[in-house]
Amino acid sequence: MNPGSDDLHVLLGAYVLGGLSDEDHRAYSEHLRTCAQCQTELGQVSGLPRLLDLAGPAGGPHLADGPAAVPLPLMTEPDDARVTSLLGQVARRRRRRRTWLSGLAAAAAAVFFAGGAWLGPKLTEATTPTPPTTHVAAAAVPGSAVRVDIALVTRGWGTQLDIDCEDMPKTGALALWVIDGKGHATTAASWRATATGYSKVTGATALRPNEIQSLEVRTETGKVLASAKT
Amino acid sequence: MPLDDDAVAEIYREHGPMLRRVVWRATSDANRVEDIVQEVILRVWKQAPEAENLRAYLITTARHLIVDQYRAAGRRPQQAQLVEVAEQDSALDRALDQVLVEEALGRLQANHREIVRCLYYERLTVAETSVRVGVPEGTVKSRAYYAVRNLRVILDEMGVTR
Repeated sequence: MNPGSDDLHVLLGAYVLGGLSDEDHRAYSEHLRTCAQCQTELGQVSGLPRLLDLAGPAGGPHLADGPAAVPLPLMTEPDDARVTSLLGQVARRRRRRRTWLSGLAAAAAAVFFAGGAWLGPKLTEATTPTPPTTHVAAAAVPGSAVRVDIALVTRGWGTQLDIDCEDMPKTGALALWVIDGKGHATTAASWRATATGYSKVTGATALRPNEIQSLEVRTETGKVLASAKT
Repeated sequence: MPLDDDAVAEIYREHGPMLRRVVWRATSDANRVEDIVQEVILRVWKQAPEAENLRAYLITTARHLIVDQYRAAGRRPQQAQLVEVAEQDSALDRALDQVLVEEALGRLQANHREIVRCLYYERLTVAETSVRVGVPEGTVKSRAYYAVRNLRVILDEMGVTR
């Protein structure tokens, strides 16, 4: 163990719940790359934001003595208008851009990572989180159980792709491909499979979000594990 | 197997209040709550009185019973499309998950719950939470760690494994 890694280890909690300073967030992200124990623990608790978002306003009756809560409507099916309004409320409350993991959770109340669940690309257009971010859940192809969620962050240079994968193959290399309107595919990120089957990586493409026709997660042999159309 | 009143009563005493809250909030039908709770406890007692994780077993059984009754109530005609049934079930599942998550938050230690509220629901930073709660930032971080770990354990115990 590195000196001070105990201190870093404990940051898992605020990493998942949100609220870490940029400095701590960087330090923990760095630590996470090499700490197998933290990777395992993160894999165990990374689903919590999705569950916490299921609770009623501000966590339900047990947390009800807090300040006025933003209602999080219980979603019965993907509904763009409701999702937009939900995301808007979350964005307004957000003091600054949160870590991706907790930021995702707001959208995840509707999306879940469900195999096949799909939200259109314009969810956040009506609101003004900066930079504009769109979350998509890539549908696992038949025979594949992977769960993939991708955040498309609009940047001056193109699109940043924050990728969160669960239940992935545990060996080999994986890659995110972006396909433009002409069907031209390029690799936007590649990474090595982890023992936990969980990975959180960031890729980049020169394409703008509206130029991305579809996204695919493929193995190194080119087998498509999950795909999403925009 | 003869009914062992004491064993059943003990399950009822220990898990009844939680089950009643869950069933009531999931069904909003005060008249049926007690029936469902008792049926759940009896079924579980008959099938697996020594189940390792009794709470998860009870909740899963309650989930099945509620879904069965919901279907039997005939919200849709007999020839309902399978997909519609699936959609109703998943809405019901989500309603149940909501109740269970809220229940789990309620079981969390108060000072851990406070940290979840500040960091997650109120979107405060660690520094802001430290001021709000009146403890050092290091304490906020370690409480956040244990809150997250404990919440996962509580949810696992309740059979919420996602």
